[in-house]
Amino acid sequence: MKILQNSGVPIYQQIAEQMKTDILNGKMVQGEYLPSIRSLAKDLKISVITTMKAYEELEAQGLVSAVQGKGFYVNAQDAEMLKEQHMRKVEEALTEAITAAKIAGLNEEELMSTLKTLLVLSQEDE
Amino acid sequence: MDAAIEITQLQKKFKGFELSVQKLSVPKGFATALIGENGAGKTTLLNILAGIRLDYKGEVNYFDEKENDVEKVKGQLGYTGSGLFFLPQWTIRQVGEVGQLLYDDFDVERFEKYCSELGVTAREKKSKQVGDLSDGNRMKLVIATAFSRDTRCLLMDEPASPLDPLMRDDLCNLIRTYLEEGDGEKSVLFSTHNISDMESVTDYAIIMAEGEVVEQGFVEDLKNKYILVKGNPQDSEQAKQILYTFNSSSYGFEGICLAGNLDRLAGMDVSMEIPSLHQISVAVMKHYATLQNTR
Repeated sequence: MKILQNSGVPIYQQIAEQMKTDILNGKMVQGEYLPSIRSLAKDLKISVITTMKAYEELEAQGLVSAVQGKGFYVNAQDAEMLKEQHMRKVEEALTEAITAAKIAGLNEEELMSTLKTLLVLSQEDE
Repeated sequence: MDAAIEITQLQKKFKGFELSVQKLSVPKGFATALIGENGAGKTTLLNILAGIRLDYKGEVNYFDEKENDVEKVKGQLGYTGSGLFFLPQWTIRQVGEVGQLLYDDFDVERFEKYCSELGVTAREKKSKQVGDLSDGNRMKLVIATAFSRDTRCLLMDEPASPLDPLMRDDLCNLIRTYLEEGDGEKSVLFSTHNISDMESVTDYAIIMAEGEVVEQGFVEDLKNKYILVKGNPQDSEQAKQILYTFNSSSYGFEGICLAGNLDRLAGMDVSMEIPSLHQISVAVMKHYATLQNTR
């Protein structure tokens, strides 16, 4: 996990985001326990309250649940919700690309052809 | 939140100074920083909590127990301060031996491990006398002894002050390891002027001024309550009325704004930032000092 101290994004949010990604892409599976808040704090060299807030954030999003005295574990992820989450990410990224394209003065055709080229490139990578 | 230490209506009067704490909880399982100017009452408070000073009024309760067995509680508390705890002619090895004699729970192997990890015995021989050590090394020795016991709560008076930046980092790691071992049962309360160096380990902050607690809370909550704003010179006069602390120059103004007052800045072109604990502490202390002056 990479934590940036001065990125402007609160550290608890960075942790929550990265764990969310791990959960959504299946790196962390249903029923798996998250590291204890104090051991994560120790490993990341941050305060306990920060890791706690990150876990509370994940709990609020329904990704993990807390068990008294045992810690936090990963919830079963609803396939529909998973897809929805991914879909939202795609939309966000594309919207950003469209904004950038407007600033750069690309027309629709040029933007589409850029996307197609990138698609081809990423398929070649795989 | 469970409390490691709970204080009610604590009072201690000196000539020209009064420590007065209505209600204060040190949360269990976390690291708490005690922040304040020189003479704010941090050391007096820590001394009372550590049982060094017994002449006070009020209640101090430890570990959420109905009634505290004084001897038992004493055994569960660890304390470090700036005073000289070891005779100058003792050697480092003898400090370990004395620790074993004084405390049943003193782990001499841990003591030696910490001494070498902290670098006390890396450059110095174990036969070196305490009196010949540097201030920093002497503090490390005190810290090593405190962490070598099996305690539930550590009270540390200015542990970071005599330490260099690398050592402060080590101190933070020691505290985190201690909290992790305790898994929610062990707590640390330390006073400090080196807020920036200690922020990464601080969960809860207590800010004191003139013998009173003027602000306290979990750092993440304080960062929601106080916002750092910066704006243009033309809005200076208006912002001055709204901000909690205010600073201006010909290039613009900056200051801390209470989150509840952010709405009132509407219409001004301001940028906002999350303040550091250091910035929050300075703002609270300045604000309090201004209040005192206008009284």
